[in-house]
Amino acid sequence: MPQQLAIIVLVDVGNALESGTLDGNTYLFDNMKLQGSTNQGTGELVTAINGSYWLDGSQASEQVLNWLPYSLGSIPPTVPRGYTAERARQTDQQALADLDALSVKPPATDTEAAAELGRIKRTVGTRIKTTRRTRGRLSGQKILDVTGQVVTDENTGAHSYPAPVITDVFGAAVDEKIMYPAEYGSPDLVTDGWYWSATVDTSRPGTYAYSMRIQLHRLVQEGGEALWQPVNLTCQSDIKVTSAPRRNAFTKAGVGMLPIPPSPPRP
Amino acid sequence: MKPNVSIIALVDVIGALSDRTLLNGNLGLVDDGSFDSTGQGTPSLCTVVEPGQTVQWTALAVDLQTPVEIRNITFLRADGAEAGEPAQEEAQTDAARLDLDVWSGVVPYLPPGVPHKYRLELQMYDGANSVLHIDSPALMCQ
Repeated sequence: MPQQLAIIVLVDVGNALESGTLDGNTYLFDNMKLQGSTNQGTGELVTAINGSYWLDGSQASEQVLNWLPYSLGSIPPTVPRGYTAERARQTDQQALADLDALSVKPPATDTEAAAELGRIKRTVGTRIKTTRRTRGRLSGQKILDVTGQVVTDENTGAHSYPAPVITDVFGAAVDEKIMYPAEYGSPDLVTDGWYWSATVDTSRPGTYAYSMRIQLHRLVQEGGEALWQPVNLTCQSDIKVTSAPRRNAFTKAGVGMLPIPPSPPRP
Repeated sequence: MKPNVSIIALVDVIGALSDRTLLNGNLGLVDDGSFDSTGQGTPSLCTVVEPGQTVQWTALAVDLQTPVEIRNITFLRADGAEAGEPAQEEAQTDAARLDLDVWSGVVPYLPPGVPHKYRLELQMYDGANSVLHIDSPALMCQ
């Protein structure tokens, strides 16, 4: 079937960071259950890749795999790409407005003023520190929770994690030239503009393992500043390649006459 | 005259499953025949053919991620009654490999000017309402 297969790599980011492994913290799904994929929703997904060939032996259909990393415990991937930046800007503007109001109408006592300033400081939240290693879209943003609110105390651990990123697809299936993965740019912002995709050679049936390197981000405090520290982990999955000859659907063999019943003459 | 005529069934699977019908613009049939077929782009395509031509049907999904396959094509009798045994039960067990089917055949001699309607059954993934059909398309000899 010349269709594109989507493999969802759902990562429980919080637990994976805590236990330092993707084993038991990854849930894989694809859209080929009807065609024979097994272990949907577990870490042991076997993706069915049904190839077919014409009677002369040539390949009749090609398969394309697309991997999409999703995350448990993050802001949903369907919100606009600039959402975190927009939320950071909104809280800045709110703080400026609050400060403005405070300067126009100062509180009666110093204690009240300090309390008010403390409240404003908390609502501003924490910015992620930019370092050479963590520079990019994540840097300079504020720490948000999964509902999009600025986290006022990052030690409570209720923050949203950056979405997992697949950084490599490798392993036996690639080494044996069964599949040819590559990372592509995409206008689809749900996947952050990049995704891993592969074409599969369906002429050599068998079960082949492959691995994905996945980058997660841990929130760490360094010198009183917060930053996202990248954590690279790997998880494994399988593809099961089968191949079968195509057949004529009317005759279940070669091409024949169409089974059209004789019609009575027109009245 | 071309030796082969292709008929493409373009299916909006999400629309069809939501509406539970192949009508409402959820299915468009198109052919590339040499003659003046009528109803191009609609579910009521009447493909004009000649005896000896090979006709091939293909289903394509608008959304590439949604599997759609032709489950069955059955020619109806002129009074609209279904012809022969429906291949439903046999196809059921074989649903997993519908992708191996090539729906093509040679046009036999047909009385000219009479549309021979057929039932087109489409399988859209799996489930209770995953098979939908229409009886409106036809083949007709000049």
